[in-house]
Amino acid sequence: MRLRTILRTIASNTFGIFLRDKLLIVFGALFVCVILMMMTPLLTLRARTTVSNMEGMQTYVLGVVSAIMYMVSGAGSLLAAWAAADAVATEMKSGTILAVMARPVKRWEFLLGKYLGVLLLMGCYVVMMFGLSYLLAWMGGQRVLAASWILLTYPMVRYAIYAAIAMAVATLAHPVLSWVVTLLLGLGAMLVVPGEEPITKAALRWLSTGLYYLLPSTQFLSEDRFLNIKQATLRQTGWAEHLLTLTYGVDYALVVLLLAMWSFHYRSLKRD
Amino acid sequence: MTVPALEFLDVTKTYHRGTYRRWPGGQQVAALSEVSFGVAEGEVCAFLGPNGAGKTTSISILMGFLYADWGRIRVLGFEPGDVRAKKRIGFVPENFAFYKHLNAEKLLRFHAKLAGIAEENAAKLIPDLIAKVGLSSYGKLKIGRYSRGMVQRLGIAQSLLGDPELLILDEPTSGLDPSGRKEVRDVILSLKAAGKTIFLSSHLLSEVEQVCDRAVIIDRGRVVRAGTMKTLLDTGDQVEIVATTLPEELEAVLREWGATVKRVIAPNVSGHSVSVPSVSIVVSGARKREIVERLWLAGSDVLRMNPVKGSLEDLYMNLVGKGDAA
Repeated sequence: MRLRTILRTIASNTFGIFLRDKLLIVFGALFVCVILMMMTPLLTLRARTTVSNMEGMQTYVLGVVSAIMYMVSGAGSLLAAWAAADAVATEMKSGTILAVMARPVKRWEFLLGKYLGVLLLMGCYVVMMFGLSYLLAWMGGQRVLAASWILLTYPMVRYAIYAAIAMAVATLAHPVLSWVVTLLLGLGAMLVVPGEEPITKAALRWLSTGLYYLLPSTQFLSEDRFLNIKQATLRQTGWAEHLLTLTYGVDYALVVLLLAMWSFHYRSLKRD
Repeated sequence: MTVPALEFLDVTKTYHRGTYRRWPGGQQVAALSEVSFGVAEGEVCAFLGPNGAGKTTSISILMGFLYADWGRIRVLGFEPGDVRAKKRIGFVPENFAFYKHLNAEKLLRFHAKLAGIAEENAAKLIPDLIAKVGLSSYGKLKIGRYSRGMVQRLGIAQSLLGDPELLILDEPTSGLDPSGRKEVRDVILSLKAAGKTIFLSSHLLSEVEQVCDRAVIIDRGRVVRAGTMKTLLDTGDQVEIVATTLPEELEAVLREWGATVKRVIAPNVSGHSVSVPSVSIVVSGARKREIVERLWLAGSDVLRMNPVKGSLEDLYMNLVGKGDAA
């Protein structure tokens, strides 16, 4: 009961701070502008579609929809990492953490509350993204053929990983550095995915394999894998695969979050 | 046996400076060196020292914000940072910072939730606390628009949430105007009367002298004097005799006896309509009768004779030097 109250209080306060964050407001406004700008040609293309050029137009419309979806998805990962790094750093910079930590709150409870606040923000983002996916597909004259829970759960698990990494690094370093490190880890994870051509040099192969297991394999957690707009390419996925993939993601996020809590436990709390 | 409210025994803390501060060769600064003091339950203890003496570091260690390198620290019988102790502590940090988007009521509600105070109790308590620190008219105003003094008052209000047994106040009157300082002093006195333990860091020595039972004076990370206010300010049986004149031969005798002689301008006293040049003689009580008789015989008027009471400011200046007392 006590823990629930503390976590809820810190998480909702963190969420409230995000909603008033000027950088986030500017980011949101720019994001809406970009989406609206991309919707205009989409609507125009749809209006010009005739029976003779139906297939070509459909491919083009779907390409635009996919591009928007990819952008929305990528921006989400960046947002999760930034929000998590900022959530801790802002408290340290302003000194508000001292008043909070003078209360009967353990350090790990504070960090978990902050993390949940970030996930709350990302939850709102995912719901908006989910709505946008349907809207864009509808505007492209298509239907989204994926279960709703996939579009909600997969990005959340992916964002949970990025947020945990950024939070862990933010307990040790400047938030901007934390954000950059998270970004580089994400990019690094994509680079070390085993390709069709094996790496000839043994040292490089070992390094690549090591990093592949160490870095978050978020490509498995991409909802794009299941978000097929053309029914012909829809791939059926079993529950076992979903369970395995999501467990991997949640497990990764938890391990990193535990590392963040451990690191935060030993750091000095003072106004930066 | 009662547990002391605060226990600080041989506490040492070193800061590491520079980019690669923990690497060999990094610069080290000793913030605290074997600092020891204790505060008993129900005491009001002042923690004094110049800027950079180690006061905020000590308080941060007590609150569990920083870890000491060495030493034993107990707060209400628990390790620093233990939630069982923090439930019973009210804390005002130096340069208090709050969430600027909240107003006083919302902020106190936020802290009440963290302190585990039931909502119905908080609803009754919060308006009273806001009124106690004189912020009733500003309860709905966002904290971002508060003045420095108003923020400080709010800090004191939040520290009183949950009726704490121990209050740790780091510069609680900084940024306050004289009336605000008086209000805070009255709050401290009322808490003292209620039997609360208060650990107070301040530069306002005259106020500390009025409210505190004990003082710990720290300089450059070391305790230079600690004790009850009575023992710290005790000057023995010395008396001050103020006379109109002092013959030279008598002055030489007085100096031989170890008396302090100063030429002063005495304020209006009976028989004199204006301030007059006079002589102040501070001497052991055992000699007072003899000196007064000699002064009279030499034709000097004794204007007044009072027991000497030491001031905290004098003690502080003697111990840590000039430039910090307010």
